[in-house]
Amino acid sequence: MIYLDNAATTGQKPQLVQKAVLNALRENAANPGRSGHQLSMKSAILVYKCREKLAEFFGASAPEHVVFTQNCTQSINCVLKGVLSPGDHVIVSSLEHNAVMRPLETLCRNREITYDMAEVIFDDLDATYRSFERLLRPETKMIFCMHASNVTGHVLPIAQIGELCRKKGIVFGVDAAQSAGMLPISMEKMKIDYLCIAPHKGLYAPMGIGVLIAEKPIPKTILEGGTGTDSVNFAQPNLLPEQLESGTVNLPGIAGVSAGIDFVSQKGIDAIYRHETALLEQFYDGLLEIPGVRLYTARPQMGRFAPVLSFNLRDDESMLVGQYLDRLGVAVRAGLHCAPAAHQRLGTIDVGTVRVCPSVFTNREEIDRVLFYLKKY
Amino acid sequence: MKRYWIVTGSITYALRGRDILRRAGFKASVERLTAQLGYVGCGYTIVLSGDIRQAEAVLKDAGVKILKIQEAD
Repeated sequence: MIYLDNAATTGQKPQLVQKAVLNALRENAANPGRSGHQLSMKSAILVYKCREKLAEFFGASAPEHVVFTQNCTQSINCVLKGVLSPGDHVIVSSLEHNAVMRPLETLCRNREITYDMAEVIFDDLDATYRSFERLLRPETKMIFCMHASNVTGHVLPIAQIGELCRKKGIVFGVDAAQSAGMLPISMEKMKIDYLCIAPHKGLYAPMGIGVLIAEKPIPKTILEGGTGTDSVNFAQPNLLPEQLESGTVNLPGIAGVSAGIDFVSQKGIDAIYRHETALLEQFYDGLLEIPGVRLYTARPQMGRFAPVLSFNLRDDESMLVGQYLDRLGVAVRAGLHCAPAAHQRLGTIDVGTVRVCPSVFTNREEIDRVLFYLKKY
Repeated sequence: MKRYWIVTGSITYALRGRDILRRAGFKASVERLTAQLGYVGCGYTIVLSGDIRQAEAVLKDAGVKILKIQEAD
């Protein structure tokens, strides 16, 4: 199989990650931070070391700000529902995923908050920045936006928006589902208060584990229960990270995240990004030779795009092309990619797009093979 | 050398505090809390051998939240 659906999840997990997950099940299968015996302590240390690695990798100030969740969507819900209060106004981008739009819309329909969508101006970061700036109101509490689009790969001017938020005293949350592990992120330099991560994508970890790094408090919880701290008290503890980690954490998943960071660090985030961008350039150039191909972005470019590319063939529904490739052993994703806002923006809400995303394991021959198939479509 | 219990709010803070103290040259480990410290249920404490005032300053500088300090012996 040629797997080009790595924006959904990296389909091939490195040996290092596989071994770490298996080892956690074999050697570290005690409940971390609970029972206090040697094996439990060994598990707790594994969890803590992973927090340390994540804090360092993403330029966060302390390991206790690293929270493990079930997935990036839960991380985003924790931020939006935990930080916003009635009367608050939020600004998001015009390309957001439903992981952002649905909790936001729920809060809005409950008449708790209002929000506006800042237009992303393709290939003009300054104009995109100004879109956000123009929507600021006195009651704006937060800007929450994606780092990179999961449909087009466009990177948003995160550092500029972070600077704006800091200057205006607004909190800044970033959905890094499509960028973490692929694009460099420093919470300190980019002035990000809340970073939401899907480690099963760019960090090659297993599914079922998400990360939230919170540099500022999250006053309200969306889940309460046992945390392994202050057990005598019925009230939910307010100390991160355990405040947001009720119930037993996913230890094998955390072991996988830890190994995933090692894997990406060893390969080098820049080297991985260069490799994947080069493959997309090759793919883009090949698509241009196919009559009737529809492309929605400029040629992929380092720094401007995450390694994601959307296209269509003629006016065909994207699903037909996806099914055609699937029959030939090529895995891509077709449809709306849970981001209808982006498709409204592209004018593809009725047909969706075919999305291609390589990984560190993809090679040039595989890209040539897919282009060959598409030429015969 | 005197031993102290430094009670933190969580296992995460206990492990972070332990590592910070070790890097600063202290002898430190982490143990489960006992009723002896006035706590029941889950919880962890740093066990320190050394100058408690210095250790406390090091932890506070690093932002480690301390709930209680008690002499162990």
